[in-house]
Amino acid sequence: MSKKVKPITGNSVGIVKTNFFNFAERPNELILSSGIKLGPITIAYETYGELNRQKSNAILVFHALSGDSHAAGYNSPDDTKPGWWDMMIGPGKPFDTKKFFVICANVIGGCKGSTGPSSINPETGKHFGLAFPVVSIKDMLKPQKKLLEHLGIKKLFCVAGGSMGGMQVLQWLVTYPETALGAMIIATSPTHTAQAIAFNSVGRFAIISDPNWNNGNYYGMKTPKTGLSIARMIGHITYLSEESMHKKFGRESIKNTKGPYTNFTREFEVESYLQHQGESFIKRFDANSYLYISKAIDDFDMTDGYNNLLEAFQNIRAKCLVMSFTSDWLYPKEQSLQIVKALKINGIETTYTNFESAYGHDSFLIDDERLKKLFTGFLSSLEASSGE
Amino acid sequence: MKKLGIIKDWIKEESKILVLGSGEGEILKILGGEKKTRGFGIDIDEKKVFQAISQGLSVIQGDINSDLSDYPKKSFDYVIAHDIIQIMNNPDKTLKKCLEIGNKVIVSFPNFAYIKIRLYIMFLGRMPKTKLLPYEWYNTPNIHLFTIKDFKELCTKEKIKIISERFSGFGKKEIPGFLFPNIFAEFAYFLIE
Repeated sequence: MSKKVKPITGNSVGIVKTNFFNFAERPNELILSSGIKLGPITIAYETYGELNRQKSNAILVFHALSGDSHAAGYNSPDDTKPGWWDMMIGPGKPFDTKKFFVICANVIGGCKGSTGPSSINPETGKHFGLAFPVVSIKDMLKPQKKLLEHLGIKKLFCVAGGSMGGMQVLQWLVTYPETALGAMIIATSPTHTAQAIAFNSVGRFAIISDPNWNNGNYYGMKTPKTGLSIARMIGHITYLSEESMHKKFGRESIKNTKGPYTNFTREFEVESYLQHQGESFIKRFDANSYLYISKAIDDFDMTDGYNNLLEAFQNIRAKCLVMSFTSDWLYPKEQSLQIVKALKINGIETTYTNFESAYGHDSFLIDDERLKKLFTGFLSSLEASSGE
Repeated sequence: MKKLGIIKDWIKEESKILVLGSGEGEILKILGGEKKTRGFGIDIDEKKVFQAISQGLSVIQGDINSDLSDYPKKSFDYVIAHDIIQIMNNPDKTLKKCLEIGNKVIVSFPNFAYIKIRLYIMFLGRMPKTKLLPYEWYNTPNIHLFTIKDFKELCTKEKIKIISERFSGFGKKEIPGFLFPNIFAEFAYFLIE
């Protein structure tokens, strides 16, 4: 369990330690959707709050494409930024760590401590690179289920996530229908659309066109920084809205541009912002992980193996909150409404809102009082129904 | 005037209800508290839905005109259409949908044949404005106003069974059914199946 060393502020979980869970040792490797065996596997995870004696207060949150297990607090006192959902997780926050035990794990295929393409392949003693097997959203859940078993948790109070995290929530409800009381399905889609795939594929093209990518064999050498940073830049554009970009940057330009732009003397603020996004991303993310995870998102189709979404959702038992955001054009409300419709027809308790926000797809990561109130309200309704 | 008390009388304890136009969840909260109902709501307004969800209520932001068919047949003990059927695009279709998804339906509406309204039109020659119908003709959401007589005729035509009917008017007093409700009732309540 994570130990609180020193609280940063009153409502922060403070300093947290990332834990590692090892499983799937030979001959009990994990069998992936592709039929390929993978093992041993390490999963990086963090926990916040205390698990109660009945083990009934656990909330599993799933991260999105560029996220990791560090969802709240700080890993070291020198950290400038807290975890990715810090505004939602902590004492007195919606995922209230005085009440709940919150778990977040890095997905397999990732690069922040869980087994992925940048890990060492036990067979060769070298980095996996492209020898790492293709993983699906469903495959990402299996290690997290094992982790819960390891922690002794049979039933979760809630599963929650946005974007790719929301896909994991949907898949979790379908694959493990009896294991969650409630679910928060945020800014996501039951299948990835052609438009969303197109953006991801441009990002992948950028990476594989980078000469340093070298078919994925770049560990210990020059890394495909340019490719990965372009991938991040295009991705980032899709996470924002026209309105939020306009408000933040307008047509403002930065003077005294130098470097390769000498013939194009004017550099817009938005350009330098995107470059900064790209540059900071390459310091923390592995290009091959980006390929694997973005591909898992594109391959995601909740209707796989079923005739339609209705049939896929027939065993869901959790009470569901579905949310879209008015300014999210990457996962527009119609995709959430498909989920809502299929849940409703199956008679599942469903709450839905197309939440008003100007921040585009990333709205669920914004520190917004209204959003916090909504999350708190939904979680309180789960507490009420669990008390019955 | 409108009286939620009449609706409360009809609802059995611990029943499963759907409130159309649930707003900020007032009816859901009252019935959840006093009748221990398992309540659900639908409303089109994001701000109201936000208030409802924030209070822990199960509400879906959606359009009653189109979204009722997504609920399984007979999945609610009661569907409550309180003061809302007259603003639907097709009140008859909405009513039929309600009867499909609910075992019983509670419909309440302002009676357009109420004496004050009759006199208003007769003497002023204008579209009536009352406490219950405070809008101008050009901005009213009440696009399908009707009378108690009209409603009963529709029920006969559609073979809808009226289980119970109650009326109110003149302040908040309840008006007995034998006292010409189509003239003296300002607001009507029907329990149908």
